[in-house]
Amino acid sequence: MTQNAENVLDHFELFRGPEYQQMLENKKKMFENPRDPAEVARVREWAKTEEYKELNFAREALTVNPAKACQPLGAVFVAVGFEGTIPFVHGSQGCVAYYRSHLSRHFKEPSSCVSSSMTEDAAVFGGLNNMIDGLANTYSLYKPKMIAVSTTCMAEVIGDDLNAFIKTAKEKESVPQEFDVPFAHTPAFVGSHVTGYDNALKGIIEHFWDGKAGTAEKLERKPNDSINFIGGFDGYTVGNMREVKRIFDMMGVNYTILGDNSDVFDTPTDGEFRMYDGGTTLEDAANAIHAKATISMQEYCTEKTLPFIKNHGHEVAAFNHPVGVASTDAFLMEVARLTGKEIPEELAKERGRLVDAIADSSAHIHGKKFAIYGDPDLCLGLTAFLLELGAEPTHVLATNGTKSWAAKVEALLASSPFGKDCHVYPGKDLWHMRSLLFTEPVDFLIGNTYGKYLERDTGTPLIRIGFPVFDRHHHHRRPVWGYQGGMNVLITILDKIFDEIDRNTNVPAKTDYSFDIIR
Amino acid sequence: MSSLSATIQDVFNEPGCGKNANKSEAERKKGCTKQLQPGGAAGGCAFDGAKIALQPLTDVAHLVHGPIACEGNSWDNRGAKSSGSQIWRTGFTTDINETDVVFGGEKRLFKSIREIIEKYDPPAVFVYQTCVPAMIGDDIDAVCKAAREKFGKPVIPVNAPGFVGPKNLGNKLAGEALLQHVIGTEEPEYTTPYDINIIGEYNLSGELWQIKPLLDELGIRILACISGDGRYKDVASSHRAKAAMMVCSKAMINVARKMEERYGIPFFEGSFYGIQDTSDALREISQLLVERGADPELLDRTEALISREEARAWAAIEPFKPRFKGKKVLLITGGVKSWSVLAALQEAGLELVGTSVKKSTKEDKERIKELMGQDAHMIEDMTPREMYKMLKDAKADIMLSGGRSQFVALKAAMPWLDINQERHHAYMGYAGMVKLLKEIEKALYNPVWKQVRKPAPWESEEETWQAKALAEAAAEEAALAANPVLAEQRRRDTAICRCKSVSAGAIEDAISAFDLKTVDEVREHTQASGGCTACIEKVEDILASMNRADPALSVAAE
Repeated sequence: MTQNAENVLDHFELFRGPEYQQMLENKKKMFENPRDPAEVARVREWAKTEEYKELNFAREALTVNPAKACQPLGAVFVAVGFEGTIPFVHGSQGCVAYYRSHLSRHFKEPSSCVSSSMTEDAAVFGGLNNMIDGLANTYSLYKPKMIAVSTTCMAEVIGDDLNAFIKTAKEKESVPQEFDVPFAHTPAFVGSHVTGYDNALKGIIEHFWDGKAGTAEKLERKPNDSINFIGGFDGYTVGNMREVKRIFDMMGVNYTILGDNSDVFDTPTDGEFRMYDGGTTLEDAANAIHAKATISMQEYCTEKTLPFIKNHGHEVAAFNHPVGVASTDAFLMEVARLTGKEIPEELAKERGRLVDAIADSSAHIHGKKFAIYGDPDLCLGLTAFLLELGAEPTHVLATNGTKSWAAKVEALLASSPFGKDCHVYPGKDLWHMRSLLFTEPVDFLIGNTYGKYLERDTGTPLIRIGFPVFDRHHHHRRPVWGYQGGMNVLITILDKIFDEIDRNTNVPAKTDYSFDIIR
Repeated sequence: MSSLSATIQDVFNEPGCGKNANKSEAERKKGCTKQLQPGGAAGGCAFDGAKIALQPLTDVAHLVHGPIACEGNSWDNRGAKSSGSQIWRTGFTTDINETDVVFGGEKRLFKSIREIIEKYDPPAVFVYQTCVPAMIGDDIDAVCKAAREKFGKPVIPVNAPGFVGPKNLGNKLAGEALLQHVIGTEEPEYTTPYDINIIGEYNLSGELWQIKPLLDELGIRILACISGDGRYKDVASSHRAKAAMMVCSKAMINVARKMEERYGIPFFEGSFYGIQDTSDALREISQLLVERGADPELLDRTEALISREEARAWAAIEPFKPRFKGKKVLLITGGVKSWSVLAALQEAGLELVGTSVKKSTKEDKERIKELMGQDAHMIEDMTPREMYKMLKDAKADIMLSGGRSQFVALKAAMPWLDINQERHHAYMGYAGMVKLLKEIEKALYNPVWKQVRKPAPWESEEETWQAKALAEAAAEEAALAANPVLAEQRRRDTAICRCKSVSAGAIEDAISAFDLKTVDEVREHTQASGGCTACIEKVEDILASMNRADPALSVAAE
């Protein structure tokens, strides 16, 4: 049956109908120069071999299925973490549409972000006019408290000078002189979204602390007892930020979160559209200079920001997306040390519960092999957690991982007998991972939504942890930090393990003798 | 109910039961019902015992007559495995309601049986009595009989309502139901001189399937397994077997013994846990079959198979030995598994520092002593504090335990491995032994245990409850050491009989005062060993030591 207005079928069902199947088959036969299916099968099998893997790893130029995104995505992520701030990306508008959809698809929230919409003219003559008009329009249309400027490649290639452009725009009265327009150069041809996060955050802090691009006095630091907290680029920001705030409040810590986007990515449905919600106030961002220390949850998201802050007299501490008991211990101990606050009994209990849960389920995770890919810090955090569980993180891959990152992962693997025979792959992509999953198979794959192709092709069950997760809803609302967060990650991993056991035992009259209700 | 109480009496008289043999006439009448302390944490009831004993029969419908509680809580809760029908896993219950309680549930039961037969047509329906219908007087025997006549299909009443006693009694009542209504009611299609029954084996985690290929290879046929992966017809015609193996000594001893009595089927008690035990069991099976007329060449083939399989298992165990060197095991589990697992662990080079004997019979305990030496530390009831102390003193690296104590072990910060019914791996036979060791290795080396034993890094060692408990225990010990009078008092206060709360001092005093010579006399005077009878051995020890000692000095070594 073709489509019928009485009963409209969606694409799952419609194209399975006989006439569509026939049509597709004919098309293939007559117009698509079909290959011998046996030959297709042969090549498919060959692509699973060691020989193919070696060719795959010998690739020099081509990247296939990259597990990273571009700098401005990270910049936009940072910008919305400040009160009433609209991200303004100087460059072509198509890129900006990508960031918005990327964030929307992950968080299931609108993502507000504007572009200077550079065109061919701008590419030739420079984007100054786009900056002037763009800032003026943004200011009058969306009434922001701050406009955080970043760039796309287009503006970077022609070398637009953001500092000068913004000054000129202010002279042309696009926005008031005293209006905050921090900026950061974020070319996609350098680094990845974690680099963009770093640059944009540093741009905003520098703006407030170091005299607003020469338009104000530099702030003088008067140390107080508070600490600053930086989350880094984090797909779990909604759950994590709230969990970290809960922990800090329990400990009685005086804190400022720099770039708190947990509310703007989780607005309530109550009849009011919130283009801006929550976020670090601009006043707090400025006053953050007085804090005694700054903690970054993700070292590789703050490679420039943290030294910058350290130069302003702060004690700084960086973690690698801490997940699990020991990593959370280290984080809390550092917070306690920096603030002089005690870790309350309630947190000790949460810790005990996580240890209890790990022990209860240890037999099911013990010795299981995992492949992990994702951002550098997440890979480190998950690797540490898996080692803690007695699992083997066999392949650890980050397309945006550097050599120094790889050395850190190697050191971590070497610290545990469960890290034996595990390997780290900096700068590799998901097509490399595909080969690895065939030649050195693992029990489970941890990665983002794009891992579903690997799951389908290699049969390795995918545990979705990372960014982006487009095809499962609401994961970002659950923390993965703190002991509670560790519990969530543990449960996520266990659920997949048990689903697999069930899936392997559910054929009636064949394997279902082991289809048990108690696992 | 009169027939039920007669059956119960009959079960209590079971001469095959090791425990029973130790009892006086009066005690035997009272039954093996361990007196439950009201307010104490209790084990399962007779219904549960009957259900778990028969539930592994895979092709029959198990219908629980009672309110939702009984089936609702027990539905599909056993890890038994079926190679065929899955109907045993379907939860059938009459789910009786208030009206049924007032007017009786027999009609609903009858209709339920009819609906099962109409819709599922199983070879038999097993009907389980529970407390409520038993109390209101539902006569399930009569209903089953009527249904059997009406539908021409075996409908088996299993009369073990929860209130009649503990789980173990239920196991035996289930056996009685089979003896009365099932065994001997059909004939096998053919028989061979190599037909055996395996009794008291439940195919948990598919364990039986690790043994069956060995038997198949020897040409030995399991005519019926009662009840793991069992079929109704097989059990019904099991009376034609030539020999039987009794696996779990306490659960179905009455079945094995009565089948020997009625049909002349000799049986032996054996175990498939551990390499040595498996070999012994295979030998005994062959031996019995040959005695019953099988070709003696079976013995040679059995020996050949044993040496091949043992060699294979030893080779598989060898790599574990360095990993297990110096590792100590504490075993907390019930009954038969104590000694059989013990032997297995020693084979792999693990050192045993203690084992529980809570459910073990005197013979079990003797075997443990044989295996571990006289100073074996047998633990009757261990508190978490004691468990932790054992661990802390490096007396144990791992605890192997039943499903329920595992959580206690965990809070006491000890690695554990579950070896009772809720486990998920098959440990029987040669292959199962290797699997067990693999699991022990996992548990021993899982990094979480290091985490479990340490306090949170911001806490000092002295502040943990473990440290406090140890300090408390140490202080108590020191106080006792410094004060011999107090120590003697403490020794005398030690409870020997927990059921009747009789202390060592009270027993010693009675022995001295009345010049007692036997356990029965002690029981008469002090009530000690008048409950579950588990302390008989201890009373015997006291008698023995006192008779040796100078009666003037009532201070005797334990």
